[in-house]
Amino acid sequence: MSGATVRIAREEWRWLARSRVALVAGVLLLLLIITATFTSVQKHEAIDEARARYQSEQIEQFYNQPDRHPHRMVHYGQYVFRPLAPLAFFDTGVDAYTGNMVFLEGHRQNSANFAEARQSSLMLRFGQLTPAFVLQTLAPLLIIFLAFRALAGERERGTLRLMLAQGISARQIVSGKLIAHAAVAGAIVLPALLALTIMSASSGASAQALLIILGYCAYLIVWTLMALVLSALVPRARDALLALVALWMVTVVLLPRGLPELVAASQTLPTRIETEVAIGRDLKAIGDSHDPDDPYFNDFKMEVLARYGVSDVQDLPVQYAGLVAMEGERLTSDLFNRYAADANAREDRQNALVRTFGLASPLIAVRQLSMTLAGTDLDNHQDFLSQVESYRYSFVQHLNRMQAEQIPAVNPGEDPRIDASNWLEVPGFAYVAPNPLAYAGGRIAQSFGILAAWLAGLACLLILAARRLERIAR
Amino acid sequence: MKSETADAVLEARHLRHSYGARRVLDDLSLRVGAGEIYALLGGNGAGKSTTLNIFLGFVRPGSGSASVCGIDPSTAPDEARAALAYVPESVALYDHLSAYENIDYFLHLAGANRHRTSVIDPALDDVGLVASARGQRVGGFSKGMRQKVAIALALARNVPVLLLDEPTSGLDPRATAEFNDLLEAARKRGIATLMATHDLLSAAAVADRIGFLREGHLDEEVAANGGARFDVDALFRRYSERRESRTA
Repeated sequence: MSGATVRIAREEWRWLARSRVALVAGVLLLLLIITATFTSVQKHEAIDEARARYQSEQIEQFYNQPDRHPHRMVHYGQYVFRPLAPLAFFDTGVDAYTGNMVFLEGHRQNSANFAEARQSSLMLRFGQLTPAFVLQTLAPLLIIFLAFRALAGERERGTLRLMLAQGISARQIVSGKLIAHAAVAGAIVLPALLALTIMSASSGASAQALLIILGYCAYLIVWTLMALVLSALVPRARDALLALVALWMVTVVLLPRGLPELVAASQTLPTRIETEVAIGRDLKAIGDSHDPDDPYFNDFKMEVLARYGVSDVQDLPVQYAGLVAMEGERLTSDLFNRYAADANAREDRQNALVRTFGLASPLIAVRQLSMTLAGTDLDNHQDFLSQVESYRYSFVQHLNRMQAEQIPAVNPGEDPRIDASNWLEVPGFAYVAPNPLAYAGGRIAQSFGILAAWLAGLACLLILAARRLERIAR
Repeated sequence: MKSETADAVLEARHLRHSYGARRVLDDLSLRVGAGEIYALLGGNGAGKSTTLNIFLGFVRPGSGSASVCGIDPSTAPDEARAALAYVPESVALYDHLSAYENIDYFLHLAGANRHRTSVIDPALDDVGLVASARGQRVGGFSKGMRQKVAIALALARNVPVLLLDEPTSGLDPRATAEFNDLLEAARKRGIATLMATHDLLSAAAVADRIGFLREGHLDEEVAANGGARFDVDALFRRYSERRESRTA
């Protein structure tokens, strides 16, 4: 790097510092990022604390239930809360729309699966005042406002010729401007970097935090390059500004909202009502355990009697109704799981398609990257639901087994109950947050690849624009 | 005052250049020696700016060659530009910087010594920019003051060649006289000056030789005649005739 290049960068900073509009806009954006970071951290901590408290209260209530029939406990159910990922303060992703509290009971899939809000890729349209939102949406605007005149202004003012006449090359001029505005992009990311460093230090998410910062640096440098390429190609600064704002509207506003709509139209998901109707129809087809002539449950009864070597359910060492409950739960859960897997597969196809659209809009690429690394993307939510459903099944079957084994098979009385101490044997839900680097390494690499492609493409364009600058300087 | 036979610091040899079908330079040859002021006189579109652009390396001639201190600007533009100082018609400076800061910046880009007391201040003294204005932002400067800053930059760079594009355009008579004094200062430093202009009086007042450029071709070249310099009336008649014949 030559001394002239560094001096050009320094002069650009001096101009930014002396330009009141640039200074005010820069300070405002930094304040906005700091405010968004501070409020997001506060909100994150408050939500986390509330969820932990509610979860604890809920567990206490469940374990303090009096003597009951186990099947009543199956329907008493449990609430489980998803703990926030340590970096969720930075990018809330789809959390605000998918919910984090799930009610678990027998015969039913957890309340979050098939929820209407889970219209997959459409959730990518939303935005909140988080550090991620400010960096994705507003920071590019600041970069545009600060950089649009970097080269077009020199050309318009006539100083470009004078600079070249000092014996420096257009490449040095463009490099100096790039250094200056890339450093501005770095300064924009700095408050988020500090917050992520502090928040990730105690949570073991430092690698994710580092990758988030790298991703946003790449994203903002993409915008810096875009601004400089257009500033070099367009003869007047005003025209460069108009072109860049139009580009911002298309890639930040239009495409990230319009493309998921196209995906949703081409890869439709059934609505919750449609799913419930379909599940209801399939449940009927499985059979009715209360119907003595139901062929499936008649076969099941025969199989149970044979297994225990008895000829009548009254002779079973366990309560037959409890066994039927277990079998019914197994069947319905299989059915629910098939529907859930189908819905997840459709959502995965939608999201895979949306991810490829990062080639059309770098915002899509960085948003996917940011949500994944913050642990707030749809895949992370699906993993939570999968763990919850797995737990729900074992929880319900645990109670059904108590019914089968502890409620007398013959003459149980009018209100049969088991001792309350049994509830303590029901294991609690222990959520294991997945590591995004392990479960989404490919997707993270894909997002970085797309951003790298943007950087490489724009860098080539800037090199060509620099050569053209020298020619048009005459 | 240098003679035509002095060693050429700036030289054009049979330059030809066209923009599309329009020929702007047609076998132009000229030489400017050290400490010499050469005025290239011509109307709009005569090829003056293209000639300067060729010396600056911004335009590669269709045929012929140019050299700045022996360097061909079409093959080594950065080196050629390092050997010359250029003052455009509309002096482009950074309005948010002071005169000092502008000169310091461009000197840094040129890789030149930019010591304030030993380089910048003497150059500003030579061009006569008052001390109180030197620390002020140039946004409020008149054209004459801006030109002084640009010439001071050229002097501070201490290069052997000075290219001026329409330097007296828009200057009042007093500022033009001051400008002519600046060129004398440059001459005393041994700088070869090529000035593209259509200001006959200014050219006659300061130039050692005047080249009449018409449709890209050097029609005639006249040299100053000792202390008496030029017969301005005769020059004016020649210049007018050429303009009229071109118009006809």
